[in-house]
Amino acid sequence: MRCKIIYLLAFVGFLALGCNETDDGNPTDPITLYEKVNGEWGLMSLKMVDEFAKSNAVEPSEQNLSTLFNYEDFKIRFSVDSKMEPTTYEVLGDVPPLFAPSGYWKLSAAFQPARAEGVLIYLYSDAAKTQLKDELRLISVPGSNEEMEFQLTRVSNGTAFVSYLFKLSAIH
Amino acid sequence: MKKIILLLLFIAMMAPSQAIGQEAAGPIASISSYPVIYKYDEQVTWYFDLSSTTFAPESDVYLWIWSPTEPDAGNWENSSEFAKLTYEGNMVWSFTLTPTAYFSTTAEAIAASAGFWFRLKNKTGTKQSDVAQVAYTSFSSFYTANELIRSYPTAPVIDKGLSILFNSNLVPGFADATSVHFHSGLNNWAVLQEYQAWLPDVVEKTKLKNLGDGFYKMDLIPSEYYNTEDGYVMDNIVFLMVKDNWAATTPDQIIHAGEYIPPPPPEFRFFPMQLSQKDFLGIIRKNNEPGINKLIYTITAGSRILTGEFTGGTSEIKGFVNLVSELNGVQGLSEIHVLVKDNTNRTISDTNIPLKTTD
Repeated sequence: MRCKIIYLLAFVGFLALGCNETDDGNPTDPITLYEKVNGEWGLMSLKMVDEFAKSNAVEPSEQNLSTLFNYEDFKIRFSVDSKMEPTTYEVLGDVPPLFAPSGYWKLSAAFQPARAEGVLIYLYSDAAKTQLKDELRLISVPGSNEEMEFQLTRVSNGTAFVSYLFKLSAIH
Repeated sequence: MKKIILLLLFIAMMAPSQAIGQEAAGPIASISSYPVIYKYDEQVTWYFDLSSTTFAPESDVYLWIWSPTEPDAGNWENSSEFAKLTYEGNMVWSFTLTPTAYFSTTAEAIAASAGFWFRLKNKTGTKQSDVAQVAYTSFSSFYTANELIRSYPTAPVIDKGLSILFNSNLVPGFADATSVHFHSGLNNWAVLQEYQAWLPDVVEKTKLKNLGDGFYKMDLIPSEYYNTEDGYVMDNIVFLMVKDNWAATTPDQIIHAGEYIPPPPPEFRFFPMQLSQKDFLGIIRKNNEPGINKLIYTITAGSRILTGEFTGGTSEIKGFVNLVSELNGVQGLSEIHVLVKDNTNRTISDTNIPLKTTD
């Protein structure tokens, strides 16, 4: 019996030592938002928000457009190059053009800040990214659930009056 | 359980008929009967509120019923005249029948069946309502309850049916009554319908239905029975039952009325409250009057004219206009003119909506 216990303790000791691999100290590059946003996304829901009504506490302030105007088929593809730099984007599906349906894109920040709402997706009509057409605000960034939300806001004289909230899931 | 399984099987058998190009008219908004309670061998009128369906006012509607039996079997594509409903106005249709006669069966067989299961349809069967059931209120418990009076519903409202059951066996002197009469008034006798035994029409109007064995039933709609003015508020019905020519009476009775809740007023709105020409325009109307099931719009945007319509029911008619695509690239728009009419050609809204200029 005593012999068995000694063997067992020795085996556990070997295991502990065997797993103790030395940290080589190689750093891993942090994952950028471009890596997360890159790819094709399908619509889960589209909500129209009356920002004027919302700010004045008038109900209803939201309407669901998910099943209207062919939005069930809405998809958007954000592309990056081999260096994970943003290149083109394209809306797929025959839907009304709430924002420019194709062009070039980039983010206001490559890394996720503490508050995701701060990140904007700039949409350009030219490859040089000088002709800004629209802005989408990232409401939630892709995580393990592979879902993303962004918002298109209509603004007049600095005041938002309507917005559209797109909830998307990754298409593999 | 067996009944439920048979019913589900039958509904499943009916289901394919929906899949071969027939128009679904939608669910029936409400069903009621008059009398409120009735025996299966008693004549009754069923009322169907189709304001939530796409049946047009005054259109020909037919009963397609398969439980407890199927009187119009085999005639889905050409309903029989005996199955035709009567239009009562305000999107309500009625059907009068004596169940034992219509279904050619006994009261016991009806009681043992799954109940009254049906659809409403047009004559050729190209349009049909959802499956529905006429609920039956059994009052058999009254015969052994030792209650003098029982009303259905317990708190009646002035413009809906009321049935009052009376057990004369509990009142001395009522044995061998030739007839029993309802001597009554509204709001503590403020509005009267007395039993005037010397007036034949009043004798007939106030006479209770004899259910046998000393049990009686009175059926009435208060607003019609007492001929009250529109808007009259009923708080109670006071009454006593009278044997023959006042040979005996019950003590005074009272039934307290339920609260009358008027339908909410219609509510129309555009959504959103402010918009640009790059947005969708929602047109929404809630609490629609019976028979109002369509909104027809004409939008004038400069030289562009957009037309269309949305359908719905009494609870809501709602739709969105795609200004995003229709006005894409149109220059110089500062407002649009929106005219909205309903299916009776009544103007619901005739207004200009300014368009916001986006930053």
